[in-house]
Amino acid sequence: MIFSVKIGGEAGFGIMTTGLLFSKIASRLGYEVIDYVEYPSLVRGGHNAYEITVSDEKNNALKKEIDYLICLNKDTFLKQKHLLHKESIVVYDKEDFDFEENFIKVNLPFKKIIQELKGQAIMKNTIALGGILALLGADIKVLNELIKEQFLKKGEIIVSFNQSFAQKGYEQIKNNYFSLIKNYLIEKKDKQEKIVVSGNDAFSLGSVIADCRFYCAYPMTPSSSVLTNLASWQDKTNMIVRHAEDEISVINTALGASFAGARSAVGTSGGGFALMVESLSFAGIAEIPIVVFLASRPGPATGMPTWTEQGDLLFACFAGHGEFPKIVLAPGDQKEMIDLTLKAFNLADIYQTPVIILSDMYLSEGHRSIDKKLIDEIINKYKINRGKLLTEKPQENQEFKILNYKRYKITEDGISERLLPGIPGYFYQANSYEHLEDGHTTEDSKPRIDQVDKRNRKWITYLKQDFQMPNIYGDKDAQIIFVSWGSTKGIILEAQNYLEKKDIKTGFYHFNYVYPLDKEKIKKLFLEKKRYILVENNSWAQFGKLLSMETGVEIEEKILRYDGRPINLDDIILKFN
Amino acid sequence: MSNIQDFSGYNPTWCPGCGNWGIGVALKKALVELGYSPDQVVIVFGIGCSGNMNDFVNAYAIHSLHGRAIPNAIGAKLANHKMPVIAVVGDGDCYGEGGNHLIHACRGNHDIKVLVHDNRVYGLTTGQSAPTSPKGFKSKSTPLGLIEAPINPLALALTQGASFIAQSFAGDLIHLTNTIKKAISHKGFSLVNVLQPCVTFNKINTYEYYLKRIYKLDEKYEKENFNEALKKSLEANQEKFPLGIIYQSERLAYHQQISQLFDDISLINKNKFDKIEDIINYFK
Repeated sequence: MIFSVKIGGEAGFGIMTTGLLFSKIASRLGYEVIDYVEYPSLVRGGHNAYEITVSDEKNNALKKEIDYLICLNKDTFLKQKHLLHKESIVVYDKEDFDFEENFIKVNLPFKKIIQELKGQAIMKNTIALGGILALLGADIKVLNELIKEQFLKKGEIIVSFNQSFAQKGYEQIKNNYFSLIKNYLIEKKDKQEKIVVSGNDAFSLGSVIADCRFYCAYPMTPSSSVLTNLASWQDKTNMIVRHAEDEISVINTALGASFAGARSAVGTSGGGFALMVESLSFAGIAEIPIVVFLASRPGPATGMPTWTEQGDLLFACFAGHGEFPKIVLAPGDQKEMIDLTLKAFNLADIYQTPVIILSDMYLSEGHRSIDKKLIDEIINKYKINRGKLLTEKPQENQEFKILNYKRYKITEDGISERLLPGIPGYFYQANSYEHLEDGHTTEDSKPRIDQVDKRNRKWITYLKQDFQMPNIYGDKDAQIIFVSWGSTKGIILEAQNYLEKKDIKTGFYHFNYVYPLDKEKIKKLFLEKKRYILVENNSWAQFGKLLSMETGVEIEEKILRYDGRPINLDDIILKFN
Repeated sequence: MSNIQDFSGYNPTWCPGCGNWGIGVALKKALVELGYSPDQVVIVFGIGCSGNMNDFVNAYAIHSLHGRAIPNAIGAKLANHKMPVIAVVGDGDCYGEGGNHLIHACRGNHDIKVLVHDNRVYGLTTGQSAPTSPKGFKSKSTPLGLIEAPINPLALALTQGASFIAQSFAGDLIHLTNTIKKAISHKGFSLVNVLQPCVTFNKINTYEYYLKRIYKLDEKYEKENFNEALKKSLEANQEKFPLGIIYQSERLAYHQQISQLFDDISLINKNKFDKIEDIINYFK
């Protein structure tokens, strides 16, 4: 069983909250959900739409067509009708508008119900939720529970007031459209407990699990909900969260905190990241660990703030003047976001250098259900590794005593011991200038070369110890191989399933560890002559360029999308007609 | 007990006669007299002749980027509020490149001590005009004379909420040392604007220039009086430069208002948060 629901209406009327409530209801009943939201860069007016695909089994992408379209206004119908099929059900208020097309009509009189119950326009959402749950055969109990959780602080009266709207919507369908009711959302008997998280939620959760103590940000779509999540949890987690005056201050505050010993992270989108770049280079030479969460949106400049694009890959990899090592990781879905966030904090500490987690609007703001058991496993398995951080006074027999401590000591693996500031008897400077082993500024040739080589060796160590090859999905021996990275994972997996049914066998190399790349190992993946197809949500085929530059591998065939929308199934499967 | 030698790193490379010498000695003296040793303080240096003090003063230090010492200092303070945090910066650094950070550090009353070497010229880049250069100032970047009026650092900090604002002179070691000591002892954001001659690139604001125009605030001066402080700040317009604490008020510092720090355990020394389940529940 798999079906999709889309709810649309005017921006500012609670579409986002309603969509997420629906996802949570389906998840609480034991089903898998994946959702995505479309909205303009406006607070009021304009069109918002929230799309949810619900399935029995694990599913990787949104369904191509909409089975249930809930129109809170006429605009929704006009903008979404091209996604409907003959059996699609359209829920709408006949008093508001009507349509000629041949879809299954379900009249849900929002206006009338609101008048009867003396409610406000925003309560259309609650009526709609009641209605759709009835159509899907769900018990309204779960919705009532969620309404209770949401409004409990406002008192019992508000709770039951809101519940009455849900009940009306529910009854309207039960009484008038009995024949259309399906048994899709019956509570599963053997259900696994799940959570529903967006990519931003996953990063937030990951940073708490990783014991990040300091988070700094300036709001920027689509990264802002990390800031608001972490800020709203701070009284519990004790994390200090600073909303600074600009992104330059953001990263420098975090670097100050990291220098002082707190695991620190910042979050932003492309434009804010551009402002941080000089300081990224500072972190590189001063060897201060920092995790940067970069959630892309289509640029250049202000671009299309609330839409999606994988347009900042090359920028992220090469951000910063001068040469210094950095690590870029790109999760493919919400679960990988948690995994890689945990890794990122360890890698930043181990290599004492910036680690960037690259997301995009599609991954950052779309939700997905994850089995709670998997999260518990991740938490239980995770070990914090702060690398060579000395948190106590070193043994006196060690070679460094006062003035002899070498913060930037030349080592084989490129990593030097970092002292926690405040340890008695020692001091050092984290220097943005080129420096000697003890941190003092230098402009001499030999120490310069030694320090550059030392920093570069961190990459060699990383490639040996921590770099991971792409995950390979499907048939690795197939003649058709998709190559991609980050958030396109889900749709490519779905395309593989689809093609499999048409007897077209495919493999898929999905890269999480996008920079730096291990040339020798990766070259071997491309030795055979096959049909390699690069799939990216940008116009330059940025990963293709990176792959070519880092490994010499060139991929000719490309599927690229750059209209601000995520890649969909047709974008891929139409290549096989 | 530490002594000046403990705080002394490399021999400074400043020009002979540069006001930086005096500021460097005053800072070290202030730290010694307050009983600190190099392992007990964090100093963040900006970029410029002032920032080059990084190699000459021993401490747990950051030699930051141009303009960014203040946010580094704020971060270090929040992570470990037990250590005093000082930012050593220049006028171009703090009033130009990093001006936005200054404003917000004032309004947040972050407990950092900002020591500005105000020589009213860009020294390290060999003589361009600064945000504090006088109008009409002829420099390499303004050969026809500077068009803008100078920034008034004291009035700026005052109106943006700084709780400690002082001015001193690089040529008066005793006054400067005492002023720095008071700034470090103050709980909250402290700005010390140090009038500093640049003997190489500023032929206008010389030792002689300042000696004729500076004066010390006397005991009768009410440093808690905002309006008086504003008047004193604006005397720069008449080329008069009061020395001393221009303004001081008791206000909770930023970190004192963060509930996570109410237990007075520094962020880095807190126990790891282990109730992840409480957070996960939000997503069920």
